[in-house]
Amino acid sequence: MKDRFTIKFGGYSGQGINTLGGFLSKALKNSGYFTFAYREYPSVIKGGYASFQIDFASHFISSSTTKTKILACISDESLDKYTQTVTKDGVILHSLKEYTFSKENTEYIKENSIVVKYIDTEALAQECNAPPIMGNIIMLGAVWSLLKLNRKVLEKEVVEYFSKKKGIDIEAEKRCLSAGYQNIKDIKVKGLPEKIKKGWENSKILTGNQAIALGAIAGGCRAYFAYPMTPATSILETLGDTYEETGIIVKQAESEITAIQMAMGSMYMGARAFTATSGGGFDLMTETISCSGMTEIPLVIVLGQRAGSGTGVPTFSGSSDLDAALQAGHGEFPRCVLAASDAIDSYELIQEAFNISETYQIPVILLTEKQISESLFNILELPTPLKIQRGLTSNGIKRYLLTKDGISPRWLPKKGKKTYLSNSDEHDEHGISTEDIEDIKSMAQKRIRKSIKLEKSIPHPKYYGPKDPTIVFVGMGSTKNAVLDAMKVNKKRIGYLHYKYIFPLKEEKILELNKKGTQIVLIENNLVGAFGKLIKEQSGIYIPNTLNKFDGRPFFVDDILEYIKNR
Amino acid sequence: MKIDISDYNTIIKNTWCPGCGNFNIHIALKKALVDLKKHPSEVVFSFDIGCNGNGGDKIEGFRVKGLHGRAIPFAIGAHLANKEMTVIADIGDGGCLHEGIDHLIHAIRSNYNVTVLIHNNQNFALTTGQITSTTQSGKKMYAFPDGKTEGDINIGELVLALNPSFYAKGYSADAIQLTEIIKEGIKHKGFSVIEIVQICPTYNRENSSEVLSSRIRKVQSTNNIDIARKYVLDTKHIYTGVIYQNKEIKDYYSNLKNRKGKKTELVEEVKNYGISNILNKIQ
Repeated sequence: MKDRFTIKFGGYSGQGINTLGGFLSKALKNSGYFTFAYREYPSVIKGGYASFQIDFASHFISSSTTKTKILACISDESLDKYTQTVTKDGVILHSLKEYTFSKENTEYIKENSIVVKYIDTEALAQECNAPPIMGNIIMLGAVWSLLKLNRKVLEKEVVEYFSKKKGIDIEAEKRCLSAGYQNIKDIKVKGLPEKIKKGWENSKILTGNQAIALGAIAGGCRAYFAYPMTPATSILETLGDTYEETGIIVKQAESEITAIQMAMGSMYMGARAFTATSGGGFDLMTETISCSGMTEIPLVIVLGQRAGSGTGVPTFSGSSDLDAALQAGHGEFPRCVLAASDAIDSYELIQEAFNISETYQIPVILLTEKQISESLFNILELPTPLKIQRGLTSNGIKRYLLTKDGISPRWLPKKGKKTYLSNSDEHDEHGISTEDIEDIKSMAQKRIRKSIKLEKSIPHPKYYGPKDPTIVFVGMGSTKNAVLDAMKVNKKRIGYLHYKYIFPLKEEKILELNKKGTQIVLIENNLVGAFGKLIKEQSGIYIPNTLNKFDGRPFFVDDILEYIKNR
Repeated sequence: MKIDISDYNTIIKNTWCPGCGNFNIHIALKKALVDLKKHPSEVVFSFDIGCNGNGGDKIEGFRVKGLHGRAIPFAIGAHLANKEMTVIADIGDGGCLHEGIDHLIHAIRSNYNVTVLIHNNQNFALTTGQITSTTQSGKKMYAFPDGKTEGDINIGELVLALNPSFYAKGYSADAIQLTEIIKEGIKHKGFSVIEIVQICPTYNRENSSEVLSSRIRKVQSTNNIDIARKYVLDTKHIYTGVIYQNKEIKDYYSNLKNRKGKKTELVEEVKNYGISNILNKIQ
């Protein structure tokens, strides 16, 4: 693809390709490019095959291509698997001594005039008086050399990183980088993006999960309770690694049930707290979500989606848990479902989740995806924090007072305040358990009324694209990134309607599009199309044209371009 | 603020069976809180589901009646948010040893400053008398005409195996001693497990107050775990009192290095925070 350049590192899990990818992302960013990095890795600690792919361009990008210009592999399995992702006239660097390409790969290399270069990183490391593991840095130096970018920029990243680690010979690292540069003089690559943005070195690289953690910190979250589960785990890491500065209580609970109960206990008292998990852990939390609905204790849950049901494909991406989020918990109660698409969204929506949850006294589920959680987005800066909205009163009499909009006064448990019972039994206005016909009816209606006000207050979906498009994609989550990136390449009249407030659903824009007769295409990272089902349920409009992907991978730009080409 | 036991009473009608141990447990609980000069607005009760949970509207305080088996983790979340409040989890043998036994185990090892009252009436009473792991062996119960098939859980033995900081056992027919035990539990800075042998006149008639009272042996508090173990392993008798207390184990919150020296509670810290330092740290 002409507007961008792609580099992929391949190795097995545990070989350090994330570290290499991290250096390269930052160095490219600091050289003035917009970057986006995507990781694939197996659910093992050592072995399998993993990749770290960096796309970079002279304009903003937030998705990947399927083809790479430079592939640098340090394990044979990754080279087997990724050879055919290299573009015509691309370059393969590898450090595998007695490696032979399969018949198919050999043909592919020949047909596409791909240059293959073996670098004996082990021998070179020895020459550099460095341990064999530093062969990785030689590979990194070789890749950088192909790009013909300023060496100092990369060296600075490597030196900075290793200076923080104990017992690392920095000079040896430098020698290895240099050996990598020297070794590659004979190969030329074309097609580097031209324009270089000035001052871009101050931009930031963030994963979606880091952004969620930062948003939570900015929004006054004071406790985090979680049980590890990919792709939510790194929220725990970020909040844990920064708790000294923030003073946040970070607790790894013994189960997801414990985590969500602790979060609800803290929210009840008035501290902002949340939990995050993936599908399986979320299933365990559902009873508490229902309890939050009934007791009207605010609750915030991040649901990081991955591919498949059961254990699924734990380290791969998808968007097949919308139904779980919409239906989790027995009984009838209002809820709000939000969906992040990138780092900035993740940062803002976690704050929005707290505001909505506290204001409406309901459970709020923030959906994210492995593609968002663990990919590295390059952004200029994070927006100023949202204003905190809590909907609190200083004191009260009836905790479950029947009101017009369904929102009852909520005041925090504190010495001297009127005490009350927060009850998961159906209750009267004082919280006292009841079986009375009128109480049951009026309380159920009171709670549901809250969603009417909520629906009115949330923003409409955002439309991207020309005024009179011929095709409009409708989607949520990370699909936005691939579609918007595709729109930069293909100048056909394509539009995209993006939802981040998923439930309650604003259907007006869909109705408008439908009335105009615009061709609508639902784009979903799943097989069955839960979002289309929700749209139909809420708007009455059935959208027959769909673009679904359910192979554990996110939408790549090429997927969208290919689809448009055939329309 | 002068506090009287009537401050803890509510106008809600009692729905427990005549002779239910819950009456005395509530009297002891209220009396303990009054003796400790705790105003109801300084106390958070996390009630489980069951006959004990139906006590949620029969006592004043900030009360939550949540989910079956989950009274303990909710209470912990509440405690961490505001440790100035006295937090009490109130749960039965069913919720504590069945649905939520993991919470009990991990709360003991974590040693949060929370008091848990385990109402042990040896059955699931509110669902009309099913067996629990403390039901007397061989006893015929609902849907088990041949009696309980499984073995028992000895709460004391379980708790003492987990290096607890406080384990006490009270008896619902002795509200005076129970009051003192609850006071000690609340005063103890750590996770205080108080098992209460509770009379259930409807589904556990074999263990009437006459039968139980004859087995009671009151003991003095000890920090010797071997002595405590002897008490709990002697199943012929029921040893009551503070069975074991270890003041050397620090409570969870005191172990949090990032909360050292903080003068505020989490609930007082909800505001917007600048993140530039954190953002730079993770770059």
